[in-house]
Amino acid sequence: MDKPEFYQRLAEILDVEEVKPEDVLKEFDGWDSLAILSVLAMADAKYGVSIKAEEIRSVVSAQNLANLVEAKHKPE
Amino acid sequence: MKCTFKNKRISSTITVVPSQEYRFDDEYPLFKMTEAQAKRFKKMMSLDRHRIAPPELCASDLCLFGVHRLLDAGVLKKEDIDAIVFISQTPDYILPATSNVIHGKLGLDHDVICLDMNQGCAGFVTGLQQACLLLEIPAVSKVLLLTGDTSSKLVDKRNRISYPITGDAGAATVIERCPEERTIYMDVKNDGSRYKALLIPGGAYRMPSSVETLELREVEEGVVKCLEHANMDGAAIFNFTMDDVPPQIRDVLAFSGDTWDSIEHFFLHQPNPFIVTQMAQKMKIPPAKVPNNIVSLYGNCSSTTIPMNIALNCSEPMLTGKHRVCLSGFGVGLTWASAVMDLGPLDFCKLVDYES
Repeated sequence: MDKPEFYQRLAEILDVEEVKPEDVLKEFDGWDSLAILSVLAMADAKYGVSIKAEEIRSVVSAQNLANLVEAKHKPE
Repeated sequence: MKCTFKNKRISSTITVVPSQEYRFDDEYPLFKMTEAQAKRFKKMMSLDRHRIAPPELCASDLCLFGVHRLLDAGVLKKEDIDAIVFISQTPDYILPATSNVIHGKLGLDHDVICLDMNQGCAGFVTGLQQACLLLEIPAVSKVLLLTGDTSSKLVDKRNRISYPITGDAGAATVIERCPEERTIYMDVKNDGSRYKALLIPGGAYRMPSSVETLELREVEEGVVKCLEHANMDGAAIFNFTMDDVPPQIRDVLAFSGDTWDSIEHFFLHQPNPFIVTQMAQKMKIPPAKVPNNIVSLYGNCSSTTIPMNIALNCSEPMLTGKHRVCLSGFGVGLTWASAVMDLGPLDFCKLVDYES
């Protein structure tokens, strides 16, 4: 999985210039229910990955999220 | 489970909405949204306006108004109604059943079957299943399927997540036997283990109504609710719509011997435009085959989004010809139900405003 690309997509969802791996998601103003929905949709559409509601709630940093998607992502 | 019904058709359908229309641009200060937040929310959910019933107007009033329009148009006769199926989560009373109240208001014969079903967004398809089952009784030849909800009464106006996409509506649809060879293919599934994903915790008998259940609290910024309001786990519902519904639609198409190409219209329930777009993309259905404008114009009208979708977007073709369609409803329960069938030519297909 192309991690820089993933962080760029996350930045677009959060409406910020850049997201760094160590950034804590809850500290972004834009990390609300709409953003969570957008992340679930992005993971499904771009990586064919279904992230569960309880999984996304346990994620802390942007890197945790990227790792979660990567772990489930099976390249075609 | 999968099932088929032979020689049955939808002959008429009417959807009724309250005349009171509210615009997101006027309402967003209620949700404590900044202009930037409102802009983002509006864009992502394609929000524009919705219809909200005044306090005194019930779902059954909307449905009954529709029935009278069908009677006035001459496409339905009172003496031909053999059963009423009323699908709602916002009935008139805890008891009696609202279908009985409607039966009385219409002055129907004592032999008419009355059935209330507590169903939400899958309700049009599960209602169609019940109507078809009733039509298996030899004495039943016409069923009045009434779907309606005033869901706005289950949320606070200051709930930024739910209120902007909520809409109130009711529909009356006539299901009847037809001599013509027709088959309705259907699959209905339930998963009660996920019942908490969409739940009103208080106000019934598990947690009776009390001062506590009615206490309004701001549970997060811009989200005011009480224990008698609908509580949704948005992420879990999103998982459900993406993981469970598309495979069911694929299965029903295989069951009926159809392909993605042989279906002219996919009338999916519309919880919000974002989810419908994601689902269509996932199934690789061209957007032109999946109308997705209900929530922007009327709000999420629960079990009525499917008949509303047909009346709003395809009224003319449905009045004049026969079309291969797929219907899919999914939501509270959790229940998901999809059908493939021929629709049309209909005797009546309209979306109208309620007039008191």
